[in-house]
Amino acid sequence: MPTISFSLKELGKLVGKKIAKKDLDPLLEYAKAELDEVNGDEVFASMGDTNLPYLWSVEGIAILLKGILGVKTGLEKLNVVKSKDSIIVDDKLKSIRPYISAFSVSGFKVDDDLLNQLIQLQEKFCHTYGVRRKKVAIGIYNYDKIKFPVNYKAVDPESVQFVPLEFKREMSLGEILESHPKGIEFKATLEGCSKYPLLIDSENNVLSFPPIINSNYSGKVDPGNSKLFFEATGTNKEAVQLAANIFAHAFALRGFKINSVDVEYGSKKETYPQEFKDSIKLDVDYINKVLGTSLSEKQVITLLKKMRYGFEKGKVLIPDYRLDIMHQVDIAEDVGIAFGYDNIKDNKLQYYSTGDSLAINKFIDKIRELVVGMGYQEVMSPILTNKNLLYDMTESKDFGTIEISNYMSENYSVVRSWIIPQLLDLLSKNKKEEYPQRIFEEGLVTSKKTLQDYDRLAVLTAHTKSDFTEVKQVLDYIMDSLKIKYEIKDAEHSSFIKGRVGRVYVNDKAVAYIGEINPQVLENFGLQVPVAALELNLSDLYDSLK
Amino acid sequence: MQGIKQLIATLHPLERKVVPFLKEGISLSDLVNLTKLKEVEVMRALQWLENKVVIKIDQELKEVINLDKNGEKYKEKGLPERRLLKQLKKEMKVSELDISKEELNVSLGVLKNKAAINLRKEGNDLLVSITDAGKKLIEKDSLEEDFLQKLPIELPKLEPEQKFAYDNLKSRKDLIKTDLVKLRTVALTDLGKNLLKEKLNFKEMIDKLTPQILREGSWKGKQLRNYDIKINVPKVYAGRKQHYRAFLDTVRRKFISLGFTEMTGPIVESEFWDMDALFMPQFHSARDIHDAYYVKDPEFGKIDEKVMLKVKAAHENGFNTGSKGWQYKFDIERTKRLMLRTQGTACSARMLASKDLQVPGKYFGITRCFRSDVVDATHNSDFYQTEGIVLGEGLNFSHLKGLLKMFAEEFAQSDSIKVRPAYFPFTEPSAELFAKHPDLGWIELGGAGVFRPELTKALGIDVPVIAWGLGIDRLGMFAMGIKDIRELFSHDLKFLRNAKVVW
Repeated sequence: MPTISFSLKELGKLVGKKIAKKDLDPLLEYAKAELDEVNGDEVFASMGDTNLPYLWSVEGIAILLKGILGVKTGLEKLNVVKSKDSIIVDDKLKSIRPYISAFSVSGFKVDDDLLNQLIQLQEKFCHTYGVRRKKVAIGIYNYDKIKFPVNYKAVDPESVQFVPLEFKREMSLGEILESHPKGIEFKATLEGCSKYPLLIDSENNVLSFPPIINSNYSGKVDPGNSKLFFEATGTNKEAVQLAANIFAHAFALRGFKINSVDVEYGSKKETYPQEFKDSIKLDVDYINKVLGTSLSEKQVITLLKKMRYGFEKGKVLIPDYRLDIMHQVDIAEDVGIAFGYDNIKDNKLQYYSTGDSLAINKFIDKIRELVVGMGYQEVMSPILTNKNLLYDMTESKDFGTIEISNYMSENYSVVRSWIIPQLLDLLSKNKKEEYPQRIFEEGLVTSKKTLQDYDRLAVLTAHTKSDFTEVKQVLDYIMDSLKIKYEIKDAEHSSFIKGRVGRVYVNDKAVAYIGEINPQVLENFGLQVPVAALELNLSDLYDSLK
Repeated sequence: MQGIKQLIATLHPLERKVVPFLKEGISLSDLVNLTKLKEVEVMRALQWLENKVVIKIDQELKEVINLDKNGEKYKEKGLPERRLLKQLKKEMKVSELDISKEELNVSLGVLKNKAAINLRKEGNDLLVSITDAGKKLIEKDSLEEDFLQKLPIELPKLEPEQKFAYDNLKSRKDLIKTDLVKLRTVALTDLGKNLLKEKLNFKEMIDKLTPQILREGSWKGKQLRNYDIKINVPKVYAGRKQHYRAFLDTVRRKFISLGFTEMTGPIVESEFWDMDALFMPQFHSARDIHDAYYVKDPEFGKIDEKVMLKVKAAHENGFNTGSKGWQYKFDIERTKRLMLRTQGTACSARMLASKDLQVPGKYFGITRCFRSDVVDATHNSDFYQTEGIVLGEGLNFSHLKGLLKMFAEEFAQSDSIKVRPAYFPFTEPSAELFAKHPDLGWIELGGAGVFRPELTKALGIDVPVIAWGLGIDRLGMFAMGIKDIRELFSHDLKFLRNAKVVW
C-alpha cells in the first residue's frame, strides 16, 4: 500500500478548516488510511485502498475531508475551459501504448509544496495503480515551451535523439533504454515492441519518450512556472482518463484554471479532462441489508454526499476521480464508512454449530503424543529448502521435487520431498548440545508426481549407542498403540546403511523407511554419533486404514 | 540449637566422613589423607559444607616443591651417592661399582665435594675409596635425603637447611620440581565451630532406603538423613511438543470450541484458487512475481472448466451480480499457473466451491503459506495464516462486528475493540480489527469483510459470506517470549529444550 506525506497546515488550508493533530487519525479512517507519524507539520500516512489513487495527495484527501467536515458536500465539479490545443495520435501505437489524455493549467504559480505533492502523486499513481508505468505513466511539462499540435507517435528506436531530463547530451531511444537509469528501470514496459512511443511538438521538439523519461527541454517544471501541460499515456483508456481527472482536480483545488486538450484518434476525437458520467441506482434496502442498519433514504443520501457522491433522480452519481465502484455493495461500504463503523451495532450469530478438526489431524495429534511420550523433542522446520540438502548431503537421488522458478535465495528454492535431511541438518548444528538427541517432526511434504501434500512423521535418535533397535521400538510403540499390523521388508535406500534399512508396509501399502543412517551421510553432516531414523507417511497410513 | 540438629540431619554421607576431621586451617590434602576419601569426594563435601555456611574454603596459589620422576625413585631407594658409598668396603675400581653411568658421574661429584671419598689413578683405572667423613655420612640421612622425605613443601616456607638442600638438588636431573598449585584450606565459621562442639554420632542414620533395608525392616528406630531439598539437581531433557506447534494446537482447539470446522487445501496451488477465484484482478500488484513463488515444472495445473468460466465472467463483466466487473480480458492460461499458496483465503475459496460445504456454516484453517521474501527477524518466506469464513442467510456487517468482538475476547483477552475501514480486493465492506491487549496495548489483530458478490456467486454461493483472517502469531510470539520470527522454526536444540511452554 502506498505511503504518502503532506503538510498538516496545507491540508487545513485546502479543506478550509484548521485540522488539529489529534483529529487527524480519525479523519484518515474515512480515506481507509492510517496515520503512521506526525513530525512537526509533516504527516506520514499509509493509504489502504489501492483502487482509490485520488487519495494519494493532499488535494485528494482535502476533497474528501471537505465533505466529511461539512465544508462542501456532494459532487466536486471541475470547470474546464475549452482550448484549441490538440494531440494527434499515430495509429501504429495501437499495439504499443494506444491511449493518451491531456490538459493544461494556467492562472496560478507553482510553489514547492504543490510540486512535491505532484511528484508524489505521479510516482505513487504510476507505480501502484499504473502497474509500474505499464498501464499508466504521467508527464508534466512547461506549457510555454510546447508548440501545438503535439504528435503522439510510434518511431524507430534509433530514428530520434533528444536530451533526457537532467542530462547534458542527446541520446537515442534505444540508448536511453540501455543506459539511462530510468530506461533500465522501465525497459520491461516496452518489451517486444519494435517501435517506441514518442511525444513531439509541431516544431519537432521532443516532449518525452513515454513511459520512460521527459526531455530536458520542455519536460522540466520549476517553482514559479504558471502554465503547465499534463499528459497520461497507457494501455487502458479509462485509467488514462482517470489520471487526467485526478490531476485536474488537484490543480483546480489549488486555484489553477483547467484548459482542455483534444486528442485525435484518426477521425475520432476525445476532449480531456472528461467526466465518466457514471451512476448507480440507489438501493437503500440492499445497503441496510449489507450493513445491518435501518437507515432512511434521506440519511443514506446525506451520508453519500458526505463522501462526495452526487444524487439525482434516484441515482447515485459517482465522482469523476473514482473508478472503483463496480456494484451496489461498493456504495454500501461508503455509506457504512460515512455512518461510522463504530455506530453499527455488534450482532451475535443466531445459529448453533459444533466445531470439528480435520479427521486426519486427530490421527496425527495422537501419534505426536505417542512420540513425545517416548522422550522425543518435537521440532518444526521451514517447508522450503534446497536440493543440496535433500539429496546431495544425504547421498540420495532426486525422487521428484517441486522447484520454485523465481526463488529469492537458493537456500529456499524447493518444497521439501522428505523431512529426514532437515533433521540431520538440525543435528549437525547442535553437536555441542547434550546427547542423547532424540527429535521428531510431523509436517507436510509435497510430491511432484501428484502435486499433493502428504503428512509425514520423521523420527531421529542420535547418541553413542543409537541403533536400529531403538528406532524400531518407536515404530512398534506407535503401531502397537494404534493396533495396526505392519510388515517390514529389506529395502534399498542409499541414505541408510545397506542391510540395516527396511520398508514398512501396512495392508500392502508402503508407508515408511526405517534404518540406520549411512556413515558417509553422517560424515557429510559432520556428525560423530550414529543416527537411526524413521520416516512414516501418515497420509498414506491413514488412508490404508480406511 | 535446633538449627544445629537440623543441620546435622541433612549431612550427606561424604560430609559426615569429613566433618570429624575439620579444624581451623586444615588443608584439602590433609583431609584427603585423614579421611581416606578421594580428593573429588572431599572437595564435594567441602563445597556442600560451604553452601551450608559451616566452613569457608580459602584458596591460594602457591609455589610448591614436589618430587619429580627420579626424586620419587630415590625417596624409596636412597640417593645414588649413598648407594655408592655403601659399596666402598675397600678401595674399588670405579668400573666395578654397581651403579649406572649417569648416576656415577653425579655421585662422584657430590661425594668429592663433601670430601667423602678419595680418587686416584692407577694405569687406566680410576680407583675410589671412602674417607672418615664418608663413613660418618653413611650413618645418618643427609640434608638432601631429609628434604626429599619432607616434600611437598611450599617454597616460601623453606627453612635454612632445607634451602641448602633445595639448592643442591634443583640442578640435578628430574629430582624435584616446583609446581604452581591451588592450596585449599578450611576456615571454620561460627556455625562450624558450634557444629564441632556437638557430639557427632552418625552411626544410626540411614542415607538411602534400599530394598534390603525395607525387606529387613532395619529402618525402624533409626533416623533417615534429611536432604537439602533446595539443592540443584541435574537437568533432564524429556520429550515435549515444539513450542510453536503447541501454540497452534491451542489455537485450533479454541476455534473448534467456538464451533468452527477445520478446512484445508494444497500447498501447490493454482493462480485460480489463490487469487482469481477471490476476484483479485490478474493485473493486481499483489500477484506480482516479487510476491508469489511460482512452480518451475509443471508450470500449469488443471482447473474445473465450469467454475473457471463463471469466475472469468465475474472478472470481465460481473457475471450475474449486476457488477461491472474489472473490465479486462481474463487470461484462461495464466489462471492455471501453479504457485505456492500465498494466502489461507485460497482454502476458503475451495471450501465455498466444495460439495461438502454446509450452509449455514463456520470454517477455519491454520494453513502454511508462502511469499517470496528475504528471511529476517520479521519475515519468513514460509509461515502460518489463520483464516476462515462464516456463511448463512441474513448475515451482514453487524454480525462481522460481533464475530470480531468475540475473537478479540477469546484470543487477546480484550473487551475493547476498534473496527476501522480497510481495503481487501475480495471483501466489501472491509474492516481491520484492533484490540486492546492487557499487556501489549492496542494491537492490530486481523482483517475481515464480507466477500464480494462477484466472488461468492461465481462459486455458486447465494448467501452472504463473512471472511476473516487473524494475526494471532504475534500474540503467540508475545506469549512465548519470542522476538525473532525465525525462532518459530528454530533449529537450536538448546532453545527448543528450554522454550517456554504456553497454555
